[in-house]
Amino acid sequence: MKGNNNKVYRHTKLEIAIHWLTAVSGIALIISGLGEMPMYKRYNITKLPFLSFLGSYEINLVIHYLFASLFIFAVFFHIVYHLRRKELSLLPKKGDLKESYLVLKAIIKGEKEPPHEKFLAEQRLAYVAIGSVSLVLIITGLIKTYKNIGPVVLNPDFLMIVTLVHTVFTMFFIILFVLHIGAFIVKDNRELLKSMFTGYVKYEYAKRRHPKWIEQIEKTSK
Amino acid sequence: MEIKLTRRKFLLTAGTIAVANLLPPPVDSEAMVSSNSFATLIDLTKCDGCKNYSVPLCVSACKEANRDKFPEPDRKMLKPYWPQKFFDDWSSKRDVIDRLTPYNWIFVQRIKINKEGKEEEIFVPRRCMHCDNPPCAKLCPFGVNKKHPEGPVTIDCKLCFGGAKCKDVCPWGVPQRQAGVGVYTYLDPLPVGGGVMYKCDLCFDRVKKGQNPVCVNKCPKNAISFGRREEIFAKADLLAREKKLYIYGKEENGGTSTLYLSPVTFEELDKAVLQENKEKKQVMRFHKPKNMLDKYKNLAKLILLSPFVAIISAFISAKKVNRED
Ligand code: HEM
Ligand code: HEM
Ligand code: SF4
Ligand code: SF4
Repeated sequence: MKGNNNKVYRHTKLEIAIHWLTAVSGIALIISGLGEMPMYKRYNITKLPFLSFLGSYEINLVIHYLFASLFIFAVFFHIVYHLRRKELSLLPKKGDLKESYLVLKAIIKGEKEPPHEKFLAEQRLAYVAIGSVSLVLIITGLIKTYKNIGPVVLNPDFLMIVTLVHTVFTMFFIILFVLHIGAFIVKDNRELLKSMFTGYVKYEYAKRRHPKWIEQIEKTSK
Repeated sequence: MEIKLTRRKFLLTAGTIAVANLLPPPVDSEAMVSSNSFATLIDLTKCDGCKNYSVPLCVSACKEANRDKFPEPDRKMLKPYWPQKFFDDWSSKRDVIDRLTPYNWIFVQRIKINKEGKEEEIFVPRRCMHCDNPPCAKLCPFGVNKKHPEGPVTIDCKLCFGGAKCKDVCPWGVPQRQAGVGVYTYLDPLPVGGGVMYKCDLCFDRVKKGQNPVCVNKCPKNAISFGRREEIFAKADLLAREKKLYIYGKEENGGTSTLYLSPVTFEELDKAVLQENKEKKQVMRFHKPKNMLDKYKNLAKLILLSPFVAIISAFISAKKVNRED
């Protein structure tokens, strides 16, 4: 087992860096993306201190462009990196739907959760959800960006669908983002939150909540 | 193990090539607007503002031809855009012809200039320029403002939400909003949307049938000519050279499909327009706007590259860590 005795190594520095790059750029994309819609002026958000810049479509476009390139970098890096290292513990397994229901029920009722692997069943499902929504946003975003590099005239009906998908998937992205943050209302999950900064979780925590994960680490390190 | 790695390498290369092929190389900007698309030439040496008519004929023809497309707002929906205190309603001002409105898609600007000590008047029919790289269409968050390969830029009234972004990003403020119509009315009382945006659609239905826009045909002075871009642009260049005229619309906002020919410079016209409309909030100018999308073209190209940079660097760093293990 990596780390010293009462800590378990959960995320590498690189993984942490990539996660926060997605998080920061994802949030900036939500803010600047909504700024590409006629919203902030209408709802007087531009009148709040320091936020008047949000009223400019031009500034929002530049912010959106900048963070889109970072977001795309982080997402593609993540996919290729972990595929190449065969680190697939975030991919859903059979029975995850049922298990995540049981976990949720246990959390709500304050009962004991079923034993977890490295990630909870709902994390694996959420991963696929936010991952595919992100990919759709990236693909449609790339098409939207491509048509902006000059007088490129693509089929307007195709572009309408691309644009509507980009806009609607933004709503999905925001919902998943809120759920992702909302997960840290559950006290046990805050141990995981710490790990996204330090890279470690406490051994007692892991042993109690993620016994299947610990079992696996202990097996391979022997 | 060896075989798997090479297979993955192969897939990666194949994937990269496939994606790269999906993106045609960024061609020289001019080349992407088809020379076969349509363009308009408006010759200001010919237009006399229809002085002998109560309404300029291009204006009345346009109003007549598009009558069925004009908005008929639901009275109950004519209320402020919460939390704002205003709303855009032109339904009781349908006769306004000295500016663009949802009920008036072309108007004639009357500009007084000083030519060699003499006061002269220039008349300018103004409407949407049908730009080559129109920010109004490209930045519409619903994609319902469309740039067609044939040249026209049109707004789908059935799906427009009336957020007026297109008006804000148009350097000439062309699209005009009418409240009380369109999809947003179905969402009432949710405070979203504001109506529908209206502007010249270059008589797209007629153009598709091989006919001219009606304003072109109705002009008694033949001041407006319409045709294939290549021919119209050549004609403009020739006339400009022969008669020492100035051209507007070729470079502005990154290029448009509407060219103006004038005996005086457009800087002068712009100054005069601003001078005469000092008290008005919105003036349709003859400035030299840069295209907002063109300005950030290189940043956009960088985005198109970032997937490849990511794939390559992930490939390399994953290998390094593997060796450490
Ligand atoms: C977290 C991911 C993202 C979110 C939440 C998001 C959100 C939005 C929203 C709400 C809009 C305005 C509505 C619309 O035009 O459809 C927008 C516009 C835009 N988005 Fe995104 N976006 C994301 C990622 C991307 C990416 C990765 C790219 C580029 C590859 C991109 C490129 C654009 C562009 C160019 C526009 C401006 C409108 C246009 O030119 O068509 N977006 N985005
Ligand atoms: C748009 C922004 C974000 C995206 C796209 C994103 C995406 C992800 C993904 C895909 C994971 C993998 C595991 C899982 O699905 O739970 C993850 C884990 C995690 N995220 Fe985010 N995230 C974002 C923002 C945030 C923010 C703002 C926080 C902190 C408040 C955060 C905290 C965490 C933590 C603590 C984990 C690790 C959980 C664990 O160790 O199992 N994320 N994130
Ligand atoms: S003149 Fe304005 S409304 Fe017309 S195409 Fe150009 S940007 Fe769009
Ligand atoms: S082209 Fe048609 S819609 Fe446009 S101003 Fe002329 S008559 Fe009106």
